[in-house]
Amino acid sequence: MQLKNCDKCKSKPVGRALAAATCALLGVQASDSLANGQPGEWDVETALLVYSETDDRVQAAEPVISATRNFDGERKLNLKLVADTLTGASPSGATPSTLPQTYTSPSGNGNYDVAPGDAPLDDTFKDTRVAVSANWEAPINRDYAYSVGAYGSREYDYMSTAVNASLSRYLDNKNTTLTGGLSLGIDLVDPVGGAPVGLSRMPIDNNKSQAGFDQEFSATRQSDDTKTVVDALFGVTQVINRQTLMQFTYGISYSSGYLTDPYKILSVIDDTSGANYGGNLIGADGNSVYVYEQRPDTRLKHSLYWQTKYMLDNGDIMDGSYRFMIDDWGITSHTLDLKYRWRMGKSYLEPHFRYYLQSEADFYKRYLTGSEYNSGARALTEASADYRLGDMTGLTFGAKWGYRFDNDRELAIRAEYLLQTNDGDQGFGSLAGQDLYPDTSAAWVQLSYSF
Amino acid sequence: MPDFSSGTVSEDTMTATTTISLSPEDNPAGHPLPRLSGGPLSWHGRFEAMASPCEILLDNVNHQDAEQALAFAARETWRLEHKFSRYVSDNQVARINRSKGQPVTVDDEIALMLDYAARCHDLSEGRFDITSGVLRRVWHFDGSDNLPDQDETDALLKLVGWNRLSWQRPRLTLPEGMEIDFGGIGKEYAVDRVLLDLEQSLPEGSRVLVNFGGDLACNGSRASGKAWTVGVEDHQALSDSSKTLSLYGGALATSGDSRRYLQKNGVRYSHILDPHNGWPVPDAPHSITVAAPTCTLAGMLATFAMLAGREAEHFLEQQDVQFWVQR
Repeated sequence: MQLKNCDKCKSKPVGRALAAATCALLGVQASDSLANGQPGEWDVETALLVYSETDDRVQAAEPVISATRNFDGERKLNLKLVADTLTGASPSGATPSTLPQTYTSPSGNGNYDVAPGDAPLDDTFKDTRVAVSANWEAPINRDYAYSVGAYGSREYDYMSTAVNASLSRYLDNKNTTLTGGLSLGIDLVDPVGGAPVGLSRMPIDNNKSQAGFDQEFSATRQSDDTKTVVDALFGVTQVINRQTLMQFTYGISYSSGYLTDPYKILSVIDDTSGANYGGNLIGADGNSVYVYEQRPDTRLKHSLYWQTKYMLDNGDIMDGSYRFMIDDWGITSHTLDLKYRWRMGKSYLEPHFRYYLQSEADFYKRYLTGSEYNSGARALTEASADYRLGDMTGLTFGAKWGYRFDNDRELAIRAEYLLQTNDGDQGFGSLAGQDLYPDTSAAWVQLSYSF
Repeated sequence: MPDFSSGTVSEDTMTATTTISLSPEDNPAGHPLPRLSGGPLSWHGRFEAMASPCEILLDNVNHQDAEQALAFAARETWRLEHKFSRYVSDNQVARINRSKGQPVTVDDEIALMLDYAARCHDLSEGRFDITSGVLRRVWHFDGSDNLPDQDETDALLKLVGWNRLSWQRPRLTLPEGMEIDFGGIGKEYAVDRVLLDLEQSLPEGSRVLVNFGGDLACNGSRASGKAWTVGVEDHQALSDSSKTLSLYGGALATSGDSRRYLQKNGVRYSHILDPHNGWPVPDAPHSITVAAPTCTLAGMLATFAMLAGREAEHFLEQQDVQFWVQR
């Protein structure tokens, strides 16, 4: 009986129905292989950076949220929001002294003192910054793609806006990508208490009437100012082979307008022999003389950047880059950056090393002498004691550890340590006994989660 | 001995084997890395998956595309292997098999597979059943004469039967003790999946053949218009004893494995089990190879024919397909 039944079913032509069912099975794309970068979903990255310099200097906390919407695999919109809070003290540029020093706060509404031998830090430093940016990229056709973006940030005394665009050309089956980009930024600088007149003497209220001080203070102020920055870059990305990717970029950047740091000052040192030789020059009002810094009002920078990424047979990735920068302020810098991503199943460990070497700007001066100051009839037009413009070496060591839960979700923690040393003219007379170039060290930790 | 002195030996004319690196994440079973040889426009990629040697043959494809195609094929096959295997402890199949009667929500790809299994169950009038794997607990096809007791098979039959489970996309409820097994579909599906995806991602004019342990599919003849020549394992040899076959298009799949059987009192018991009674299908052929437009279809027709036992050839004739049967 069963056999008979079976014969019936066995000879039934099921081929067509089975073929239709098979088409239904194969006709729909696998959904499980969807990963980041797939159309129709937002990829979100969140991160929190905590930065801390030693000796109670700058402390910063920076949350970041970045979201990318993928439209069809090639067209992408990225939106990013960054908030910073910075607190702590920042070197003012003045030299330490054997005597206590008094400075006027940037607002003009008070002063602060620095003990003998201490590095003069401006501890009124405090800032919060909110930055937003949007970037859109899309193909034009098979061979070309473009991107456009806008950026805006706002902090208490500074507003920055920028727009950018780039065009990419693919060659040789996308093995070669040529990219040209242009960015235009306009910043508005509105320092606390107004922007100081460059190289004018910092008024100090000791031994003065309030009205006299106010008059002196306002004489050193100018209105707010602007800065424009034009950046252009040209890059080549080349796939060398399946494991190696190389990139060259040449960038040129031209800034003009108010490029001075309104909160940085220089000490004027008495260079005539006598009791105060090598100490702060004392003005006619009995106060030490400090002048506000002044930088050139244009800056032209050229940079060359070379990066190579190499994937080893075991999936580890080596990433090395070198940047050379030169500008018409006389600064040249070299940056070497090395990373090794060591993959271990679902997690990876990425040690990081960075070496930075910079030469000083032509107008960098650790201090001015009384002769250069020349009772206010200054022998020079530009000067800055900002350590960031001096001879400098920086070493950064760090590591990042990341864990991938699945294709979409990754948690990572990064910890870095920076040691920065400056060097230069050691001073003379009593100044020679001061540490004019204290080392800076900083550590930061970043926790990030993307999904 | 090639002459290197002229300095004209370019990468394109070299036929050295390249190893393709893939991350450990893409290779959960820790297979050896895929290897690519050939060139300048014809390539042979090899890797291992699903307990079979896997190969992709590429014609009219440049070196870079060939490397990418092989990397993709291995990644995708390993993904499917990991996904559908009943030997992996942390995939959806394992979750279903451990669910103890609790409903499990499955993803789209598993859902499609379950829909397909349901349709095959229906079209085979219950002979193709992805829940019949539990019968292997008492059937060990090791060439010996150790047959299980009828009591043992009867007891297990309570755990067999697609009709006993509840499948309402996307939720599957499997009674406690039952198991599902995609072993009868997974490899052929992987062949089709990889071929379809490579066809889409490679430039037009590329010719591809995907062969996973003798289950294979191609997108037409070679670029020259000639047939693909594919080596097949001895026990899967077709009508003659030649170890190669020619293919101009479509797919081939083979069911049966002459090494998996039991023999007692002169009766040979095939490893094809009838889920209706828990015993081997009588008079099933040693091996059946079917040609069809897709590998999944060819494989399913071969499986259906196996389940038809002595009626295998008759069944296949009714389906209007080319086939080769070894008795």
